[in-house]
Amino acid sequence: MMISRFLLGAGLAVVMLVCGTTTYVYLGTKQSKVAAPAQKPTAATPRAQALTLPGTLYLAQSGALYSLSAGRFHQLTPEAGWTQPSLYPDGSNLVAVKQTRAYSDVYVINRFGTVLRQVTSNAAPARNKDTGANHWSFYPRLSADGTTLWMAYDQPKYGYDVVLSIWAMPLAGTVRQGRLWTSANDYTGGDVQPLPVRQGGAMYTKYSYGPDTKLISQLWYTSRAASAGRALTTAAEDCRTPALSPDGTQVAMICTYEKQVSYLTIASWNGSTLGARRTLVSDQLVAQPTWAPDGSGIAFLAPGVAAGEFQLWWLPKAAYSPPAPSPSPSPTPGGPHNGPLPSPSPPPPAPPVKAIQVTTNDGFDATSPLAWLG
Amino acid sequence: MSSVAGGLAYFVPAAQTALEATGQVIQLPSPSPTSIFTSRSPSPSPSSVPGAFTVLLLGSDDDSKFSADHVLTQSMILVRVVPSTKEVTMLSIPRDLYVHLSTGGFAKIDGAYSYGGPGAAIATVQQDFGVHIDDYIWVGLLGLVKLIDAIGGIDVVTSNPVMDDYYPADIYSGWPYDYERVAVLAGPQHLDGIHAMQYVRSRHGDLQSDFGRSQRQQQVLMAIRQKAKQLSPADLPAISAAIGGELKTSIGLSKVAQLLPLAASFDNPDQIRQIVLLPPYTHGDGPDGSINPNWNLILPLVRQYFP
Repeated sequence: MMISRFLLGAGLAVVMLVCGTTTYVYLGTKQSKVAAPAQKPTAATPRAQALTLPGTLYLAQSGALYSLSAGRFHQLTPEAGWTQPSLYPDGSNLVAVKQTRAYSDVYVINRFGTVLRQVTSNAAPARNKDTGANHWSFYPRLSADGTTLWMAYDQPKYGYDVVLSIWAMPLAGTVRQGRLWTSANDYTGGDVQPLPVRQGGAMYTKYSYGPDTKLISQLWYTSRAASAGRALTTAAEDCRTPALSPDGTQVAMICTYEKQVSYLTIASWNGSTLGARRTLVSDQLVAQPTWAPDGSGIAFLAPGVAAGEFQLWWLPKAAYSPPAPSPSPSPTPGGPHNGPLPSPSPPPPAPPVKAIQVTTNDGFDATSPLAWLG
Repeated sequence: MSSVAGGLAYFVPAAQTALEATGQVIQLPSPSPTSIFTSRSPSPSPSSVPGAFTVLLLGSDDDSKFSADHVLTQSMILVRVVPSTKEVTMLSIPRDLYVHLSTGGFAKIDGAYSYGGPGAAIATVQQDFGVHIDDYIWVGLLGLVKLIDAIGGIDVVTSNPVMDDYYPADIYSGWPYDYERVAVLAGPQHLDGIHAMQYVRSRHGDLQSDFGRSQRQQQVLMAIRQKAKQLSPADLPAISAAIGGELKTSIGLSKVAQLLPLAASFDNPDQIRQIVLLPPYTHGDGPDGSINPNWNLILPLVRQYFP
């Protein structure tokens, strides 16, 4: 009898221990996983083979560059501040930014991530302890002939007024041989994302204070260094991140209408002005639209779940081609430029063809443009 | 019973932090004899709208430059919530606003907390703005960083490249008077705690200085609320453990439990009003680099949105 009671007691103790532990562990499994760190693209499950995109796509995550080819990711560089890859026109190499806490530099790397050359030298001289003696270079792009490096560079700057301006320099030279192309607005962040165009000059994103004193972004175009340039989009549209289609006739961009939303918008481009806007994605945050080199669609970055890390998405061409007829917006009298101006309100909602989420557990750098080799 | 014990053990960190951080007693200082503002709003009374309440959000630089209980409030945001209409109004109070402090004398409003803790900050805002404040939430610099990291980061459309060559390196640096460079690039992106802090704290590169920073702070608050909707109660222990000691509030535990489901129901961004007291509501020619309030414009605005 005593043994039975002892066994019963021991059994109950075991049951209590198991129940208590199980409850603790069970509650742990009910966590939302919102704080789970992003997986490396090379390790993420499910892997990206579910949808094979054409060519090779280059992306950045956590300071490392990755390539996505035939549905498989490869890590090209260590996690050491690498971001913003951009291809040589012939696809032979890439230029990319390596950012530290105090400065960033443009490097030439091959398609396997090996550093071939450092192009800029933006670190302050060793004895200079003034943090302002360092410089930033961002958004490198090469001209069609591959000899000129376009970038956003924080020179000139005056004390606290640190703005990025569009510069062009010989890829084989130094920034001292470079040329300042744009005049950035003071205390705005400046001019960024240069996109050299066939007609000469560059399209870029300019930040300004809008009529309501809020900071807004606009696409601008300038054909000559130090010329005034002109706006391609209105302040109310609040557009940025231009990306040219492979045939050079369309521009994809991100417009936010001064709100915490973003729209993937496309417009025709005739080398001088943008045509009617067409919204392709409007129901989620979107960043970095990039045209497939074969014209089969547009890749972009967007959260996989609400308020989550940014994943790779794919929008097939069927979503936006053939273009639906839409009336041209009428110019605004007295407007700052002569090009067609759109309505300040968001264009009509997206067509029924849906974007496809390619990755699920990654955390791509949404401030880093994608590079796509056909 | 053992299951209950297991559950209790799981939530112990949250409960411990919650007990330490919540339900803080507000001690309002006695009105100063020189108070000339009491006639503006003799005794702000609770809102007449059923269920509506007003919270004062306070954010402080609490690095080693300051003694623990005498920090300035770099950020002061009045938030009014009307559950019945699902409306939220956020009004950022400039930290340099030259006002009459509840503890006596005139100074920048960011000093109110330093002189008398949350009670003095609340009393100052109540007497000067003529509002009734139900509760306060105070968070330190590191607390915001840890909170955002604990919820897995936030998604924000950053308005512009935030460039600052002289950003204070006072959180993780051994020398709190050091500087570092900051470049938060623009556009839709996922921000971790440190980068979100840089985005809301930097002001050197903004023509509107503290006003521009206030607008960014409201963006990040909205993003935190958006992310909070994804959380489950089982996340609370990890979050509590992360922010322990960096957050204080007068809101009691029972009210927190009521507010969590309420936060998820505020879905319409058009129902969320954001106000920053730019000129002409203020003008920047006050003493010692302060900003003078234009009460003739501010008070009708406050009466409209914080009745």
